[in-house]
Order: sequence, then C-alpha cells, then structure tokens
Amino acid sequence: MGQTLVYGILNGALYGIIALGIALVFGVMRYLNLAHGSFIILGAYGSLFLFHLGIDPFASIPVLSIVLFVAGAILFKTSFSRLTTFSEGNKIKNSLLLSFGLMLLIENLATLIWTGDERSITPPYSGLTFGIFDLRIPFIGLAGGILALVLISFLHLFLTRTYFGKSIMAVSQDHEAASLMGINVNRTFLISFAISLTLASIPSVLIGLKAFSPTGGIQWFNKGIIVVMLSGIGNIYGVLPAGLFLGIIEAISVFIFGAPYREVTGLALFVLIMILYPTGLFGIRIES
Amino acid sequence: MLNVEHIDVHYGDLQVLWGVSLEVKEGEIVALVGSNGAGKTTLIRTIAGLHKPSSGKITYNGNIMNNQSPHKVVTLGISMVPEGRRLFPKMTVLGNLEMGAFLRKARREKDQTLNWVYEIFPVLSERAQQIAGSLSGGEQQMLAIARALMAKNGFLLLDEISLGLSPLLVKIIFDVIVKINKTGISIFIVEQNVPMALKVADRAYILESGHIVAEDVAKKLLNSDHVREAYLGMSPI
Amino acid sequence: MRLKIIFCVLLIILFLTLFPLMVKSEYLLNLLIMFFLYVTIAQSWNLLGGVTGQISLGHSAFFGMGALITRLFWVEKVPILAALMGGGVSSMLLAGIVGIPCLRMRLAYFPIGTLALAIIAQIAVGNIFPLPGSLPSEYIVAYSISSRYYLALLVALLTISLVYGMTRSRTGLALVAIRDDEGAAEAMGVKTFKYKVLALLVSSLLAGLGGGIYAYHQVSYYYYTPFELSWSFLPTLTTFIGGLGTMVGPIVGSMCFLALSEIFAISLGEIHILIFGFTFILIVLFFPGGLMSITQRFHPFSLMRSKKKGVS
Repeated sequence: MGQTLVYGILNGALYGIIALGIALVFGVMRYLNLAHGSFIILGAYGSLFLFHLGIDPFASIPVLSIVLFVAGAILFKTSFSRLTTFSEGNKIKNSLLLSFGLMLLIENLATLIWTGDERSITPPYSGLTFGIFDLRIPFIGLAGGILALVLISFLHLFLTRTYFGKSIMAVSQDHEAASLMGINVNRTFLISFAISLTLASIPSVLIGLKAFSPTGGIQWFNKGIIVVMLSGIGNIYGVLPAGLFLGIIEAISVFIFGAPYREVTGLALFVLIMILYPTGLFGIRIES
Repeated sequence: MLNVEHIDVHYGDLQVLWGVSLEVKEGEIVALVGSNGAGKTTLIRTIAGLHKPSSGKITYNGNIMNNQSPHKVVTLGISMVPEGRRLFPKMTVLGNLEMGAFLRKARREKDQTLNWVYEIFPVLSERAQQIAGSLSGGEQQMLAIARALMAKNGFLLLDEISLGLSPLLVKIIFDVIVKINKTGISIFIVEQNVPMALKVADRAYILESGHIVAEDVAKKLLNSDHVREAYLGMSPI
Repeated sequence: MRLKIIFCVLLIILFLTLFPLMVKSEYLLNLLIMFFLYVTIAQSWNLLGGVTGQISLGHSAFFGMGALITRLFWVEKVPILAALMGGGVSSMLLAGIVGIPCLRMRLAYFPIGTLALAIIAQIAVGNIFPLPGSLPSEYIVAYSISSRYYLALLVALLTISLVYGMTRSRTGLALVAIRDDEGAAEAMGVKTFKYKVLALLVSSLLAGLGGGIYAYHQVSYYYYTPFELSWSFLPTLTTFIGGLGTMVGPIVGSMCFLALSEIFAISLGEIHILIFGFTFILIVLFFPGGLMSITQRFHPFSLMRSKKKGVS
C-alpha cells in the first residue's frame, strides 16, 4: 500500500504541473486550451530529439521552455487573440473549440511525421530508485516532484514580487480595470499564454521519460483539467494539492479495485466534487 | 487641455451619442450631468479609450486620443476612476495602490505618492493590508480614487463616484476632489448627484438622450430653471 | 417551395431504400452504412450542441455505450431490435448519471465534463474488455448486409425526423432560446435545466442507437473502438463545418468527411482529418455559421442558425 501511495503522490505532482499551465491561461483570460496536452507531447518529441543529440532530458528543459514560449506567443498572436473580445461564456466555448481543432491538427501531423508508435526516452538512470524504509522511490518521479515544488515557488515569487507578475494577477481579476492602470492587457494575455505553454516543458520531459505517442496528449489534458476543477477555477495555488489529491485517490482505488478501474476513479471523483463542491475543493467561485 | 470634438458613439447599430463636444481647460473641474441612460458613462468611457467614437475627434494636450487603446490613454496623461470602482477584489489596499502606479514614471515616485495619498485618505493607510473586497463602500470609493491618483497623471476622469454612498461620505469625497484639483489636476466628473456636482465644478454640461443641451458656468446652471425643474425637482424661481 | 423540398426528400429516401436492390457492391453498401452512422451521431450531437448550444465533446461515450450494450445483449441471443433499445437506453442512463451533473455546472464545464467522460470511458472499456469480440458462427453465416443497411437507414431517418420534429416544436423554441441567451430564457420563465436534460437524453439515446447499429454491423472488433475519441471529434467537426444548428449541416458535413476520407484512404495517416481540422479552426475563427452560412444566401435550407459572432 505504501508503495502505491508513493506512486500516487508522484503521479499527483505530475498532474499538478500539467494543471498549472491550464489553470494559468484559464485564470488570466478565461481560455481553455484543449491542446495543452498535445504541446506536452510535442515537447516530449523535442526532448527525444535532443536526447538523440546527446542532451540529457532534464537538461533539455530550458531549451524546450524557450521554444514553447515562442510557439505560445506565435500561436496566441495568430489565433487565440481573436477571441479576446468575446463575452466570457463565449470565450470559454470558442477557445475550447479552437484548441480542439488545434489538437486534432497537432495529433495528426505528429502521427504523419513520427508514426503512431509509442516512444520513450531512456537515459541510463531510467530505472533508478531510492530505497527508504520499505519503499522504492523512482529517481525520475522524485526529480519531477522536486521540480514541481521549485516551479510553484518560482511562479509564486514571480506573480507576487514582480510588477509584471502582479499585473498578470490584476488582469486576471479585472482586465478592464487593469487597462485603466496603464497595463497593456493584450500583451499581458500574450505573455501569460506563452508562459502557460512554457510550463508544459517539465511535464514534457517527465512524460517523455515514461512513454508517449502522438495521440496521448488529450489524456494528460484530461488529468490536468480534472485537477483544475478540483482545485477551483481561479486558484493557481490549489493546483498542486489538488493534483496530489487526485494521485493519492487514484492510487488507493487501484489498491482496492485493481488497475483497470483507475481512470474511472478520476471521473467519479470529478462528478462527485462537482455535485458537492461546485466551486472546487480549494477554490473561489468566479462570477460569470 | 481635453478637447472632445463632435463625437458620435454607437453600440453596434444603436447610436447613443450625437455630435457631442466639450472641453476641459487645465486646472478646471468640469461636470457632466444628466439622467440615467443619457449616455454619460458612455461618454466618459469613450474618453478613457474603452470605446471608440464612430466619428469626431478627442485630443488631449495635442495628442489624438480617440484611436488609442485604454492603456495608452493612461500613458498619455488621463486616469479614470470607473463606475462601480472596479477594484482588484482579491488584492490588498496596498496592492491596488501599487497597481495604480504601474506606469514607469509613476513607479519611480511610488513611495512619495503613497504618502500623499495616505495623507488625503488616512483610512487607507490604516487598512493597507486589508483585502479590497472587504472594505466598506465609502472606503472602496476612496481606494478607487487613490489608485487613480497613483498614476500621477494631470487629468482625472470620475464616473459616478457618489453612487451608493451616504450624503456624509459624498460630502467628504467631494471635498477631497476639490483638494486634489487645487494641486493642479484637471477633473472631468460625470454625476447623477446634480447639486453636489454643480457646487464643486467650475463649468458644467448637461447631457440629455445623447445630446449636449446646455453648457455654462456651474453656478449659473445650478440656479437655472431647467436644472431646478428637471433635476432638482423644484419649481422655477 | 415546401412541396418541392418534401418531394425531393421523399425521392432521396426512395432511392436509398431501393439502393441495395439495384447495387450489389458490398463496398458501396458498407460506405452508405457508415454514412448513415455518421449522420445519426452528427445529427444527435447537433440537437444538443447546435440547437441547444451545449457542446458535447464526449459523444463517443454515448455511441460506445450503445454499441457495447447492444453487442453484449445481441450475442446473448437477444433479438436485435430489443438489443438496440437496450443500447439506446443504457446510453441515456450514462448520460443521465454523468451528464446531468455536468449540465448543472457553470460556464464551460459541460464540454469538459463530457470530454473527461469520453476519455475515461475509452480507457476504462479498453482495460476491462481488452480482447476483441467476435460473433458466434451462426450469426456469421446468417450475416446479411442489407438488413444492416436498412436498419442503419431507419435509425438515421428516425434521428433526422426526431431532431427535426423537436426543433420545430415548442420545445425547439425553448432549446434555441437557451442556446442564444440562457439567462434571458430563464428570466422569461423557461425551465432551462429541464430542457437541457431533455436534449441531452434524446441526443444520447439517438447516439446510442447509432452505436448499436455499429455493433450490429461489425463482425469482429475491439469493444473500445466505438469509444474512441474520433467518434467524438466526428460529429463536432462535421456538424460545425456543415452548419451548426441546421438540419442539413450534419448531413452535408458527414458527406464531405466521408468523401474526403475515401479519397485519401490510400495515403498516409489521416490527411482528411488534417483538412477538416484546419477548416474547423478557420470556421471557429471566422465563420461561426459553418459552410451553410456561406450558401445561406442562395438556399433557404437551414433552420435556426446562430447569427452571433462566435458560438453563443
């Protein structure tokens, strides 16, 4: 049981980082980016490519981050920016649909380019585990967990200590009022979107080290969105605890019901929480 | 000096302002009064850049404003206190004020400006760490005004600042407006509270159904038959 | 004008009914069966998404559920029509259990909730039923493609008429009102939740029936295949491109999709999906009414399309 819990926690950390990117875009500009998972997969392919060039996956994170940032900026400028003028409900719907089309494009292009085969990055430390008491803790998972903590801390400092970070928070709370402060809201949207894609670089590598295929993106998005819902919309800090929560509950259900039903737990949890706590576990209700 | 020249404003196909012209000279307090739905808020929002006029021109100190985005309007020297205050609800009082000083020039002088603002509104200094959403109505209004002042602009737009406030608070806030104006900041104020607005302003305009129907020195308007009947519910003198 | 349309429609139905008697090509018959299935699932999706404005990204769960239950019943010697009903009903039950809480949620949780449902259903069914299901030998011997054909045609016609009927009725007025402005509809006394649930249940029932036909049609297949997300993308894409909320939209969209996929069947990967995906993006960004809105000026075929910018 302890072992399953360990895996649950480490999975949860991964879910949390994935959810962070989704939550940022949603919190700031009320967009839902269905293609977030597909970008994670693209990043995984990128990391694989760099790995063949001799670069360690963890070392590829900075490179991926930059590439993803630029890609996010371009993507926003060319398509998502057109949706900023819609009402809130329409923004969510249309960004969903747009990113839906985008996801299809990316998945199918990726299949064309790399075939549908499952890949995996296998550096020498792939199977490395640490033993504490009776438990074996995989090195990669642990590294992922630590990176998640570091990432959240950095993000927190950025959002609360820098003027630009604070302006992002202002925009997310009332973008019209923010513009009256002299904040360039469109540019803030652009950069926030790009940052959210950058946040996909760490999950890219972690998933690359597990296993990935062109169509795998949506499943990761699914985990991410469940976590975002659990933590509550508009709440970026609740994302990591919510991710851990999901991971642990999944682990427990695997222990009790067996592996094939793991995914169903996520759904059941999702539906249950939505019925009981429509604002999410840690969240604040956003006004529609 | 703010110059609004003959602007028409539409919401989609619906026209709400017709050929509106007005000016605010440096150091003046100018009021715009009119009943609900006359188009006052639309007008002030258009000046702030939140809305584009379909024709006409707006200039401020020689710069053309009507085609600028709202954040550019702020950099060009005009700050607005929007209707309903629009504070950042989850930020503290201090956080809101810091956001007000977002402009680079304002950021440099942030600490001095903060002191000045705390002098004008001492209650804000007491509540500096309090979350903006938990303040009372009057405190929120003060914070909204203070926040706009943080930008250190020479021109202030005030949209319905008396809304929802008790008469005492309204008096206090309008006294503050006069005080701010004395430091050299030009003020354009849109108000439903006609007597208060006309007492405080140098000049005033009356907007009815999207048209400017009167313009005069504020005191004269306050005593005019039209205003007394239409807006103050009194019989003609 | 209306008489002309009715006449054309009847002619088409007649043609389709006589088709298997005239043409013996199994390839063409299978193609048409696929077409009928596409139309069924797209039109059922359209009722929920196009007419009522609730975009379901997880219709594959309903399609798959119908297929699963129908297959399980049918293989256990339940007569096909009863099995189909079973499939449809089970799909409705699934929609009720998961979909209703999703409808309650604010903002865009419904698409996300249905998407989550579809993803999880696909994985779960894949885990629980990893092996392909095949038919007992008597069934294979007795396999007649024309019975599949007629049943598929029947279900497709049923779907179209039901959706048409609902849309044209007073219920349809409520649904469209909900799509265009739920708040206003609520304020006018429309019990929006009740109608949304109704649309959801009917939509899932029809999708389940379609799934049942799929299960009836396939000899041997993996149980998770009809749960695959492509069955979710399909109705969304085709209805959007064909014309959201219109009657002809799903049909036109399905036709185009099928045509493209046949043309590109020999080439690598899923180029037709690329084309559709790209078109879809363009439409979301620039033409919310879909292809039909462009042809709208020439043919008054479409009903109740949304004029507003973006999907409302």
